[in-house]
Amino acid sequence: MTAQSIPADQLLSAIREAGVQDVVLVPDTHQRTVLDLLMDDEEIRTVHCSTEDEAVAVSAGLIIGGRRPMMQIQHAGLYASVNNLRGVALDGQFPIVLLIGLLGRDPELEPEEDGSSMVRLCRPLLETLGIPSHLLDGPEDLHHVAAAFDEANERKGPVALLVGTTTS
Amino acid sequence: MTDNTEVQRMSLDAALDVLARRREQQVVVGTMTANGAWRQKSPHDLNLACIGFMGGASTLGLGVALSQPERDVWVIDGDGSLMMQLGSLGTIAGAAPANLVHFVIHNGVYETSGSQPLPSQQQVDFAQMAEGAGYAQTASFGDAEEFDSAIDELLASEGPTLIQLYTRPADRFYSARPTPPGTTPALARMWPPVAEALATE
Repeated sequence: MTAQSIPADQLLSAIREAGVQDVVLVPDTHQRTVLDLLMDDEEIRTVHCSTEDEAVAVSAGLIIGGRRPMMQIQHAGLYASVNNLRGVALDGQFPIVLLIGLLGRDPELEPEEDGSSMVRLCRPLLETLGIPSHLLDGPEDLHHVAAAFDEANERKGPVALLVGTTTS
Repeated sequence: MTDNTEVQRMSLDAALDVLARRREQQVVVGTMTANGAWRQKSPHDLNLACIGFMGGASTLGLGVALSQPERDVWVIDGDGSLMMQLGSLGTIAGAAPANLVHFVIHNGVYETSGSQPLPSQQQVDFAQMAEGAGYAQTASFGDAEEFDSAIDELLASEGPTLIQLYTRPADRFYSARPTPPGTTPALARMWPPVAEALATE
């Protein structure tokens, strides 16, 4: 297998088509081309957080107030946000979709075979937490974006999308 | 450097009374020991609580404030809680919600675990930190009458606002009871009615 880069404009279109109103983020090098587009976007608001566990709570608050947020972070931030993923997203049953960049992943390998613990432990951690995840390994996987919101609403809980390689 | 060793402190009860007298249709996010006292003083269908994710009250409130810009949102935070998410001061200042008022109960201790001292207990000044982060206005009170006299003007001005409330620690701690299997967590029970109320008003 070889993960293919997803063009930023295509990922942005998928985010838009999913009805996202707010992107709650801590910047991810891996998705920087998407971030550039998002920060210039006039319809989707970006909320910049100091830490990823803050981003979970901000997303929950936005949902309470009737908005449709999406979190955008990198894998290191997933590890940093575990307490709020548990205490807010899971215990609170919030349908939060997380877009997580697998920064530094070898695109020729499955994430679990990667030499970096940040890449390798990502899906096992999500599995331990009971958070479903879907790997975006190319433009053909972008249908998972809108579907993840349906899945999150249906199961009343978070769903993760893993961006497999650097966006172009 | 601020030295809070000798600062005047009011009772938590008196501080919350000042807020309860102004309670209308604000969404209020409480946390830790102040939350229980607040819910008794101001039972309301727009109360939310940060239970089980210490430190998250400020950013949960931020999310609600950004989603409901025409409605006032109050966060009743704790000093130990805010220390756990100190970066939220920058996050809130950056998002700059004019409708958010962030109260911080400063008693200098982790009251829930038996009143052990906070790191930097004597010096930490959240009003100075918030001012440095870029909040629109900040204030500190250790006297309930002074707080009562000043709060209306603060509430009438655009936020984000941080109001530090020096209170005396109580001699108590929270002892968690086992949660029976299958119990729906408090937050999952609490927020859908708030969301429904906000959607219909």
